[in-house]
Parts: sequence; structure tokens; C-alpha cells
Amino acid sequence: RGAWPRVAMEASELWVGFVGAGRMAGGLVRGLLQAGKVPASNVLASAPSDKNLDAWRELGCRTTHCNLEVVHRSTLVFLATKPHILPGVLEEIRPAVGSHHVVVSLVAGVTIQTLQRLLPPWTKVLRIMPNLPCVVQAGAMVFSRGSNAGDEEAALLKSLLSSCGLCEEVPESYIDIHTGLSGSGVAYVYLFAEALAEGAVKMGMPGALASRIAAQTLLGAAKMLLETGEHPAKLRGDVCTPGGTTIYALHQLEKGALRATVMDAVEAATNRACDMAKD
Amino acid sequence: HKITASSPDTDLPTVSGLRKMGVNFTVSNKDTVKSSDVLFLAVKPPIIPFILEEVGPDIEARHIVVSCAAGVTISSIEKKLSTFCPTPKVIRCMTNTPVIVREGATVYATGTHADVEDGKLLEQLMASVGFCTEVEEDLIDAVTGLSGSGPAYAFTALDALADGGVKMGLPRRLAVRLGAQALLGAAKMLLESEQHPGQLKDNVCSPGGATIHALHFLESGGFRSLLINAVEASCIRTRELQHLADQEKISPAAIKKTLLDKVKLESPSLSVAPASKVSLFTSKSKKN
Repeated sequence: RGAWPRVAMEASELWVGFVGAGRMAGGLVRGLLQAGKVPASNVLASAPSDKNLDAWRELGCRTTHCNLEVVHRSTLVFLATKPHILPGVLEEIRPAVGSHHVVVSLVAGVTIQTLQRLLPPWTKVLRIMPNLPCVVQAGAMVFSRGSNAGDEEAALLKSLLSSCGLCEEVPESYIDIHTGLSGSGVAYVYLFAEALAEGAVKMGMPGALASRIAAQTLLGAAKMLLETGEHPAKLRGDVCTPGGTTIYALHQLEKGALRATVMDAVEAATNRACDMAKD
Repeated sequence: HKITASSPDTDLPTVSGLRKMGVNFTVSNKDTVKSSDVLFLAVKPPIIPFILEEVGPDIEARHIVVSCAAGVTISSIEKKLSTFCPTPKVIRCMTNTPVIVREGATVYATGTHADVEDGKLLEQLMASVGFCTEVEEDLIDAVTGLSGSGPAYAFTALDALADGGVKMGLPRRLAVRLGAQALLGAAKMLLESEQHPGQLKDNVCSPGGATIHALHFLESGGFRSLLINAVEASCIRTRELQHLADQEKISPAAIKKTLLDKVKLESPSLSVAPASKVSLFTSKSKKN
């Protein structure tokens, strides 16, 4: 394929490529396929070994060990390698990147500036930061545009990836914050869920049941937050009957300065993301 | 001029203040009772039993006895007065100091023989000096912890906020003025808004700005839990004091001797055994 004219891209006509076929890429493609956005046969993924690629083939996608092939045969190219691998990969695929390509990087810590520096100057680049639950189509993703990416490309990405969860365009400076909040944030939730369950076990409930209930509690609370649009403080107040169990428990959480600790966590992860990006 | 106030101690600064306002002042509690329909008992809690003993005989059916004494239950007052009057109308209220500037927070609970109209009358009176609403008596301790003691928490906060201002370069007077206005304005916004205080807080916190940085410090210091602790401590202490009073464990040593002497003068039937614990609710006690 040579250079394509700049036309509105219908998702169903898209040829989507993944350079790197790890867990995050796998999560995204599952979302795309489940939502019927792109036929599996239009998806081509490359990876150095077959270890990850087996799963892709099972989904009906095509696979290869050649990164260049992915670029040649796709219009929308997702870069999903590990950060230290990326510069080498970009050097490799650079000759094949044309003005028709839309290059979307999932690679943590690699800025748009770096991407644009290592790719041809006409390349349409976008950078996305997803999170793990994209794998179950309940992800939270933010993306930013590079200099050549326009409204069309942003709209395309948003429309495709909304199949994996929440997808919003943001200024690039928010991406590290998103890491601290939601990328790493998923781990904070797992920690909280574990602690909830342990509390229940201490009080006499079997562990497996406690874990399932803990998870459902988080899911239900999050769902209410998202669906009612109410302020979390209001929802919290709604659960607190005067002198009841909840307010007693909340007092314990406040005594432990849970809020400040969580703020510290988000701050630490965000700062670390910034530092790592500078490396 | 329709208000009468009494106190054995005429040297109190409040006395001259009351006189200047045109309030009838007397040293006789009995006179106050006789010239009133609504009687506010505004003595310290340990004194209440003595007062009730003293003025009990003069309480009539028309009287509405309003006790503002922290931790003194309606039933203890009714029990004491019932030796004099079969159906005493008792209302218990808990207010706070900002009634002085007509921004008080008052709650009241009506006793067995107080009618709805009696409660409404009190509510009307107290609503003129701030917010007033009826509650179940068992909530009054919690109200004490929150809005009874609340102004003290606010004064402490304001003092500290002013310190912060001074540290960062403001003159003290200005710092105090601005701090007080900030709290006043915030309280007003909250009272006039439908929004949750959490939402109002968010509205002030621009991303990455000064306020959110400051709030992080407050959270790290456990600001919220300290306030919860304070309300809880005040409420629990109120209950303790009430419990002590119910068990009639108030030692006369806790009451100023001069005050006791003045009370004894008015009420020869009342006597106190100085060395032992006083049984406060028997009608007659032997003179030692």
C-alpha cells in the first residue's frame, strides 16, 4: 500500500496493527473485538515470540514476528512494547511510516516529543495511557495528540477505545497524573479490597466469600458513583445513619488519615511517572 | 420590662448590663418566678436542684420551666417539682453562646406536661436569636457536643488560622478579621446552598492549586478525625456529668460556699450536710 488520501476512516475498513502483543495490547484488542468495532481478520499483531501471539490467533487475529509487516499492512498502528524496547523498534519501523498512518503509543513514560523525534516529521502521533481493566472492558484511558494528529484521528481513537471503557482526550501533562490515579490506582483498590476481606475474616467470615463480597461492594459503589453523578461525599452521607455502624467505621478511617495517605499515594505515583519519563 | 432576672450575686458584670437593658433585676429567685410565665433556669447544673427546691412552692400551672442546664434531664426536674406541683411544664433546651449575636443554635425537648403550644412558644422566643428546632431529649447530649461546644472549636480554629496569617506576614488584627470572615462566609454559603460541603470544598480547589495543597496537610494531620473526636468527647462528657448528677453524687464542696449560704437564707427548709454527699432530691433533710 502506498500513501492513502486523507479520508474519514470507517472503523470497519480499518486495518489495525499492534507492535507488541502483551497484556495491555491484548486488553485493548479484546475490547475492540467484543464491541464489534473491527473484524479480527483486520488485526495484525507482532511480537518476538509466539508466547503471547497464541492468544491473539485464538481471537481470530493475524500474527507475525515482523514489526515492519505490521506497519506496512495497517493504517492504525498501536505501539505496545516495553519502554526500553521502543527506541529500537521505532528506528526499525521508521522507514515504513507514512502520512496515512495513525500511530498510537501505549508505552508508559515515552512522551509525544520523544515519539515525534524518533518518527518521520509528518507522522500523526497520539499517546494513550490505559489501565488494566481495559482487559474486561471497564478501563479508564486518557490520550493526547501530537502535532499532526487532528480532530479526525482523536475522534477515531475515542470512538474505537470507548469499547474498552472510559476514554477521554487530555493535555499531555495529565497523563502522568492518570498513571498515579488510575494506572496505579487499580492496585490501590486491590489493596483496599484485600484489607476489607481480611477485616471480615477476622470477624469470622470465610475468606473466599469475603473477597467476593468485597469486590462486589467496590463494584456496586463505583457503579452508583458513575450512574448517579452525585458527589461521593453526599453518597457517603446517605449511607451513614446517625449513630450507626457506618459512621463508627468511617471515624476509624479518618483516625487513620486514610484520605491523606491516598493523596500521598497518587502524588508518589505521579511523581515517579514524571521522573521515569525523564530517563 | 417584661423580663425579670435574679441572682444572689449583684456584683456580676452581667447584672449591670441587664439593668441597662431595662430588665427588672432582683436578688429574690422567688420574685422572678412570681412575675414570670416562662421561667428560664440559667444556673449551673449542680445548682439546679437547690433552685428547684427553693422556687418549687411558687411554681404554678401557668409556668413553663425551661432548663438550659447541660446534662440535667427533664425527668429529674419533673421529679423534683412534682412534690410541689402535680403537672409541671418542663422544657429542656440546649443553646450556645452566639445567641448573643442572634446567631445561636438551640434545640429543645418538651417534658411530660408541656403542650405543643408551649414548645412552639419557646421555639418562637429562641428563633429570634438564631436557629431553633425541637429534638428528642436523647439527642441533646450530641447537640451539646456539636453546637454547644462548637463555638469553642471555631475560636480555636480561628486563633490558629490567625497565627498562620501572622506567620506569613499579616498583622494580627487583620488576620483575625479575615479568618473570622472566611469562616462566617463559608458557613453562610453552606447554609444557603443545597450542595454538600464536600462539593463546596471541591469548588474552591483548583487543580494543582494552593487550596488542595493546604487541604492535603489538613488530611495528613487527621483534621477530620480530630473534629469527630471532639464532638464525641464533649457528648460523652455531658452524659458522664448527667450520670453523676442522676446518681446524686454532687458534693457540696463543688458548690461555692457563699452561693450555698445565700440559697439557704431564702429557703430555711433546705439544708446541706457539709461533710457527706448530698441527697439532692429528698424534700426534707435533717439539719446537722
